[in-house]
Amino acid sequence: MAMARDFRVVLCTLLLVLGACHVTPAAAAGVRLSALSKTLVVEASPRAGQVLHAGEDTITVTWSLNTTAAAAAGADAGYKSVKLTLCYAPASQVGRGWRKAHDELSNDKACQHTIAERPYAAAGDGTFVYGVARDVPTASYYVRAYALDASGTQVAYGETAPEEYSFAVAGISGVTAPVRVAAGVLSACSVAALAVFLVLENRKKNK
Amino acid sequence: MEAKPAAMEVEGVEAARGKPRFRMPVDSDLKATEFWLFSFARPHMASFHMAWFSFFCCFVSTFAAPPLLPLIRDTLGLTATDIGNAGIASVSGAVFARLAMGTACDLVGPRLASASLILLTTPAVYCSSIIQSPSAYLLVRFFTGISLASFVSAQFWMSSMFSAPKVGLANGVAGGWGNLGGGAVQLLMPLVYEAIHKIGSTPFTAWRIAFFIPGLMQTFSAIAVLAFGQDMPGGNYRSLHKSGDMHKDSFGNVLRHALTNYRGWILALTYGYCFGVELTIDNVVHQYFYDRFDVNLQTAGLIAASFGMANIISRPGGGLLSDWLSSRYGMRGRLWGLWTVQTIGGVLCVVLGIVDFSFAASVAVMVLFSFFVQAACGLTFGIVPFVSRRSLGLISGMTGGGGNVGAVLTQYIFFHGTKYKTETGIKYMGLMIIACTLPIVLIYFPQWGGMFVGPRKGATAEEYYSREWSEHEREKGFNAASVRFAENSVREGGRSGSAGQSRHTTPVDESPPARGGV
Repeated sequence: MAMARDFRVVLCTLLLVLGACHVTPAAAAGVRLSALSKTLVVEASPRAGQVLHAGEDTITVTWSLNTTAAAAAGADAGYKSVKLTLCYAPASQVGRGWRKAHDELSNDKACQHTIAERPYAAAGDGTFVYGVARDVPTASYYVRAYALDASGTQVAYGETAPEEYSFAVAGISGVTAPVRVAAGVLSACSVAALAVFLVLENRKKNK
Repeated sequence: MEAKPAAMEVEGVEAARGKPRFRMPVDSDLKATEFWLFSFARPHMASFHMAWFSFFCCFVSTFAAPPLLPLIRDTLGLTATDIGNAGIASVSGAVFARLAMGTACDLVGPRLASASLILLTTPAVYCSSIIQSPSAYLLVRFFTGISLASFVSAQFWMSSMFSAPKVGLANGVAGGWGNLGGGAVQLLMPLVYEAIHKIGSTPFTAWRIAFFIPGLMQTFSAIAVLAFGQDMPGGNYRSLHKSGDMHKDSFGNVLRHALTNYRGWILALTYGYCFGVELTIDNVVHQYFYDRFDVNLQTAGLIAASFGMANIISRPGGGLLSDWLSSRYGMRGRLWGLWTVQTIGGVLCVVLGIVDFSFAASVAVMVLFSFFVQAACGLTFGIVPFVSRRSLGLISGMTGGGGNVGAVLTQYIFFHGTKYKTETGIKYMGLMIIACTLPIVLIYFPQWGGMFVGPRKGATAEEYYSREWSEHEREKGFNAASVRFAENSVREGGRSGSAGQSRHTTPVDESPPARGGV
């Protein structure tokens, strides 16, 4: 009987799904941006509003320790590495929930693109030259750096001021000549195939 | 209907007259009386496989974009509003196209109508690979979505090929396996993308190349229909019109009788909240799981696919359930079945919106929800064939179109822009399903009753269907098919009703009532 069969299938699927789905993704680490101390000073080479081309241009990021802030927050002894990220500027987050910034860093979507992770030098200074990757989309960005401890958890951060400064990246469109040609040819072939069959039908009819 | 050697030029691949023409057993109309799922016997089962597969390919193309949205939205800089608008556009094209397809099938036959529709919308799929702006994205989704009107031609074709005992099953499986495309594609596209990406394309090119797969599938399925398909067991349409075997009704009359039957409008509304909801979820579910639960493209694709994949058995199951309820309780059973299953679907939808805190619960509820909402689609088309006999095609088209209208409305109100979070939209959509399923209680057949009211004494199916023809037309015998249908529908009176509802004491046939479509 259809109903009994349906019910059995539903029950089995449910059990399978509930059993197999102990994959709870994204276990929250619970680190909040507001709880971190802003002890790093970050600068990026693009001028405000400059347009960079993905896959071609570079960004030079420099970071250093703000000694007064660090002294107030506690020494930088725990800093083991620095993680540089490319973050969407607020203007590029509007109307796009998948780019929204969150205080809870495990939920934060604004700083999705990792530039690099460098070991933290004792003096606190560092430089990195980043070639803008080909999968960076067209948008406005700023740069944020996190100081990570030995376990990889964020303990401090610094950023180029997102409210005042941002630069743009012009992403690649992905349309190549072969794709264009293929699209045109196949579209024409589909319509032509229809025309051919219709003509043949008419010929048979008039015979 | 004997083959008329002189008048009828039979096209297609029939053998010489005098030998059995078909591998399958057929009735006097040459329609198959059996349904052999794993056979390709021509023309009946071959037509079935071509019909469901070409419809499947249209669903694949229409919903090829949603599983790749995380890439497309970055390439084109789409906002949530752009995505919502394109989702609405993808299902709105078919609203009127489904109505027009019914007429097209009447005029030129399902083979030419469906192949033309599919081949003319395929360029939109190929051009999806070269779009570079939000408005281009909206346009390609709109034109691709028009291909969903092939639902009507698939159902029309099955009704021409299969006789009453099997037409419900043929339509249920064809419809269900076609809708399956909306689920399979959610898994297919991320896998295709991954393969192309691995070969060496950059992400923003790889998703573009991926669109060629649905495009090629669609082109080849339509060419197969043209090359190997035929409209009816006896041949193609032109020959049958010439020989005068088919009475051509006037479009004006068919339209009038479809529009003035309130039951058609109610079913169009309720179908909007089972099939329309199914289309909405096809558009929305991948992005929901990808963004809300931080799974990767392929995992989200697997989950989204499991929603549509349930169609393999859920929609045919709904049709079978409707038939079973009818055998015990008649038409009232069918109505109660539809209301119950669709309302449970609505409740599960609300639950899905509420359990967004748990990934496992969301997946489990979604799978359960998919069974009920798709079974409701099958149950709806258990009732549609009985609403009208003269305007069956147009009522089916209205119901189908109503499904798309429901999808447009639901996406516009709840999944458009950033006003509601997706989980909130899902919850409210569930409430709307429950509310918009209530009108089923208003459906009343004088000869069979409604949900809460029994049949009127003395009302017969014959009267109900004959009302659609004028005195003059009845004299000429144009309503002969309706009279036969009414006699076969005696069973819809339920176990008690089938004894003597009809004025004629026709012995109840072994063949269940003729069913026009799913």
